[in-house]
Amino acid sequence: MVRFWQRHRNLIIPYSLLLPAFLVVFMLAIYTCVWLVRMSLVDWAFGSQWSKALPAGLSNYVWLLTNAGTPLWKSLQVTGIYVLGTVFMELVLGFGLALLLNGKVFGRSFYTALLTIPIVVMPAMVGMIWRLYFSYDGLVNFLIQILTHLKLDWYGPNLALPAVMIVDVWEWTPFFILILLAGLQSLPHDPYEAALVDGANNLQLFHYITLPLMAPLLITATILRLMDSLRIFDVIFVMFGGGPGSVTLTLPVLVYRITLVARNAGRGSAASVMLIILIVSLTILLIRLFKKARFEA
Amino acid sequence: MSTQKIQLKRLWPIGISNLLAAFALVAFLFPYLFMVASAFKNQLDAVAYPPAFFFKPTLENFTQVFGDINILFYLKNSTIVATFSTLLTIIIAIPATYALARYRFPFKEPIAYGFLLLQMVPGISVVFALFNIARMINLYDTYLFLVLVYLLWNVPYAVWMLRGFVESIPVDLEEAAMVDGASRFGAFFRVTLPLMVGGLAASSILIFIGAWNEFALAFFLTSTNARTMPTTIAFFMTHAGIKWGPMFATAAIGTLPVVIFALLVNRYFVSALTLGAVKG
Repeated sequence: MVRFWQRHRNLIIPYSLLLPAFLVVFMLAIYTCVWLVRMSLVDWAFGSQWSKALPAGLSNYVWLLTNAGTPLWKSLQVTGIYVLGTVFMELVLGFGLALLLNGKVFGRSFYTALLTIPIVVMPAMVGMIWRLYFSYDGLVNFLIQILTHLKLDWYGPNLALPAVMIVDVWEWTPFFILILLAGLQSLPHDPYEAALVDGANNLQLFHYITLPLMAPLLITATILRLMDSLRIFDVIFVMFGGGPGSVTLTLPVLVYRITLVARNAGRGSAASVMLIILIVSLTILLIRLFKKARFEA
Repeated sequence: MSTQKIQLKRLWPIGISNLLAAFALVAFLFPYLFMVASAFKNQLDAVAYPPAFFFKPTLENFTQVFGDINILFYLKNSTIVATFSTLLTIIIAIPATYALARYRFPFKEPIAYGFLLLQMVPGISVVFALFNIARMINLYDTYLFLVLVYLLWNVPYAVWMLRGFVESIPVDLEEAAMVDGASRFGAFFRVTLPLMVGGLAASSILIFIGAWNEFALAFFLTSTNARTMPTTIAFFMTHAGIKWGPMFATAAIGTLPVVIFALLVNRYFVSALTLGAVKG
């Protein structure tokens, strides 16, 4: 026993340290996955008795993937626009404001403190308040009317998606500002001084020093937001529930809609499985790309 | 050029950038402040057009929310769930993080990536499977199940965030303590753990706020007993339309503790965000 311990202590110690996490997290995760896959292979109305579920083979997946009228393709499109659009706007706006705040701005800590607010306000409430702000007689239209004498139909099919995207930008641009500002503040001074001695102008400083030094942080922050944006459910659900029609139907909202609105838990679970596969493979891909880029740089 | 002109030329850009920054700050704060203000409006003022910027403040929404809806009950639930899931997360994550940061063993990296990928799974995609499990083991609508479910995301998140933090603490410090006669675990408790406090505080803050704000899982896994603050929005959607006044009051009550908390621990909050980004 003692010899066993001595020979394997380098294995026993780390594995037993990981044991609590394994027991709680991996066990529940695996059990949940088993249930999810099982649910995706049956024909079952959510809310009815589980014993009433009928075996359906892969028909739920087939329905999602092959049926032309299936909401999956539309939803993929919406999700793509939503994720890429919001993260791009947040990155540009966030980096711009971080650069601005990194300059001669009075009360910087005041800004960094207050800018946390949109990030920490509960998204369910965020969705509710913006739902009112975007209504025909809401705050947003009031501002637009002052500027243009027009009032827009944000609840309509053309503007509902931009509306939820604006809310996302409002919530998460501060995330970029705070992270990137912290990064800018910790940049070394020497390269700037050397370049200034050589007579570089501001644009050159930005292009040849700031941007390359900030690149890793810009990329990681963007990846984090991309993955997070792909999972957003609460704000969109609360604001428009995927509608009108399916213009704001991102993948997470699609899962909800198939499972609870159409009451088809089998198809909903199949959609969930595909969403998980999509996110997991995207994560792996992005990490690989990022590591490769870092390695080559 | 006179000195006055030079000074003006220098001051212009500073003035403009301060103005722009102030404008951006107002844009990010105004929607929230307007929400808090609307909590003190009566139903007419809440939906008035043009929006009521000046109005006679009333506490009727708060009396309604504390009375009819008994919002204190949901505040209590949120506090219990967020506190326990944060505490349990930290207790489980510390040893796991230490193993991943300090030991070499087979399947180390796959395990670390397993954690990362687990954390990426959207709550809504597994919530209906979790619903079935909860029903089966009779834990639907209990604190225990919601806390357990939150651990699924929080433990991987904490491990992933803290691992880099522990790795950045020099091993030499522990080894020095061990030379002085401390055991490996003694060295951990006396040397490394105190140095981890900053990282632990940072990740606990984000985990607590995340649990406090979480909607999708809480919405479908609780109904009356363990229901948390964010899910109370359903109470205000009636057949006669949305009760905006009480809705805003609830939003103010639910968000103010977190906003004040985040402002108080701001230094940790920002470092927590960066910690996640640097490691991710």
